[in-house]
Amino acid sequence: MRKQGLHLAFTGKKLYVTIMMETVGRALQALSQQDALVQSEVAGLPQGFIFCMRVGTGQPALMVMKDGDGTLRYLGANAQAEPDLTISIKHIELAFRMLSFQESTSQAFANDRMIVDGDVSYAVRMVRVLNRLESIILPDMVARLAVKRVDRLPFTTKVPLALKVYAGAATAFVGDQLNHIKASISDLSPALPIGKH
Amino acid sequence: MKSAQNKGYYEFFCPVKTIAGEAALEHLAFELSSIGCKRPLLITDKGVVGAGLTAYIHAAMDSAQMEFVGTCDDVPPDSSVETVANIVAQYRKLAADSLVAVGGGSVIDTAKAVNILVSEDSDNLAKFSGAGILKHPLKPFFVVPTTAGTGSEVTSVAVIADLAKGVKLPFSSPFLLPNAAIIDPRMTLTLPPHITAATAMDAMTHSIEAFTCLGKNPLSDAYASAAIKLISENLVATLQSPKDKQLRLKLAQASTMAGIAFSNSMVGLVHSLGHAAGSVAHLPHGMCMSIFLPFALEYNLEQGQGRDVIGELLLYLAGPEVYAATPKDERPEAAIAEIRGLRDELYALCSLPRTLSETGKVERSQLARIAELALDDGSIIFNPVEADYEDLLKLLERAY
Repeated sequence: MRKQGLHLAFTGKKLYVTIMMETVGRALQALSQQDALVQSEVAGLPQGFIFCMRVGTGQPALMVMKDGDGTLRYLGANAQAEPDLTISIKHIELAFRMLSFQESTSQAFANDRMIVDGDVSYAVRMVRVLNRLESIILPDMVARLAVKRVDRLPFTTKVPLALKVYAGAATAFVGDQLNHIKASISDLSPALPIGKH
Repeated sequence: MKSAQNKGYYEFFCPVKTIAGEAALEHLAFELSSIGCKRPLLITDKGVVGAGLTAYIHAAMDSAQMEFVGTCDDVPPDSSVETVANIVAQYRKLAADSLVAVGGGSVIDTAKAVNILVSEDSDNLAKFSGAGILKHPLKPFFVVPTTAGTGSEVTSVAVIADLAKGVKLPFSSPFLLPNAAIIDPRMTLTLPPHITAATAMDAMTHSIEAFTCLGKNPLSDAYASAAIKLISENLVATLQSPKDKQLRLKLAQASTMAGIAFSNSMVGLVHSLGHAAGSVAHLPHGMCMSIFLPFALEYNLEQGQGRDVIGELLLYLAGPEVYAATPKDERPEAAIAEIRGLRDELYALCSLPRTLSETGKVERSQLARIAELALDDGSIIFNPVEADYEDLLKLLERAY
């Protein structure tokens, strides 16, 4: 019974982390199109730079790439690409703590929850980008749990920016789902019996 | 920030045997033979040889009927992959079976890198750069530090420059740690006053940042607080009596303890600024630490770091009487004032600079570049409070 309960909790946490990874990945893409501060941080990364955050050596994961126009593009969780920088969180429980704001990114580093593979200066830069994202899309009360210092933005700046990020992430998500559906239909088409066309 | 005692989680690791005190060097031959080493290679630098320090090692080995198969004494102050490759070639040519590093941070880092290549039977050092790449224990390795500051004898990291590519290769693995660190007061007796002061302030900074930054934990706090106390009580006395072996031993032990502390809880803003200033203005690392330490603590305090943590430093910096006599809400400022007072004494005794301008090597125009580099330094993540470019620039202006 206890084992079943633990398994259920693990499944729930894994689902939460998977959803949050995708949300963060898409929000990074949207924010990099809207926010000058993030754009200046991304400008310091090499062209084509690929950042990956994952749990252990596999999933859940997110991958973003610096595009030619200086923005970040979400590549998904299963992209076949070689990352320049990978932050691996050691266990799903630790990822859950981070992504549910029980432990800040910096504290998680200090607690040896993660391993960095790649140039540490780029890791520091990406942590600043993630902090900026959390400062913008989270209410200050929650953001304070996630970052050392919440960027002080006027309400009239923060709310429209957060809405644009949420809208951008949602639009990209819906667009990708439609593309997947179209791709699935076209994959299925040749296999359908002739009479069904 | 949670106190260390209430910290929800931490890791602590230090498997290095410490052999410390008078005649510690005379234990080296026994330690080597106890794990079957018969052909140790000595790695050192010209400064150590010139100061006559290797003579003590050779004498200690000779009297135990043991000798080195060879000596590599060409390690420069900033070691490179070429230096490592030359020593690896010597190791193989001489069929050595173990390494003994006698020197400061550069010699010890070089020996760690040599150990990677001879143990992995490879010539490609870059292949092993990064964290956790090594998967197997390395060859037997012993360290005799000749400065009391870096703590490299108990840290699991090394940095080697690849001059051809213009990059620094970092290595991090528990397998880099030596089998034993041999702390003998004879090894630091001849250190000149300004190097004694700068390296001790490096160790002081290791321990204070270990005690005040995000990775602090109960075990690293124990080492850090003991190191702060030892340095506070003995640094000035050592400069006044440089040939006192007991005082030298206390500083050397403090350096090792500080090394154990910071390798388990990391460092913060002082190191971010110090690495950047060292890179831009080529200032010695210990000097940078001494300059930035009070300014960074003040910044952290102003930005809302828990006052209790910095206030507690007063106990180790000034002793229980001063601590008890100082009202609780004044202790953080009093602790920083103690550090400033120590720096004033060091300036009077050996001209160790207290500001960037006192170094005579930093232009105000370089501050912006220092701030840029400090912002991307890995240690800034572990600082308890945030610092952006503007914050760093203001801090550097204060420290100028």
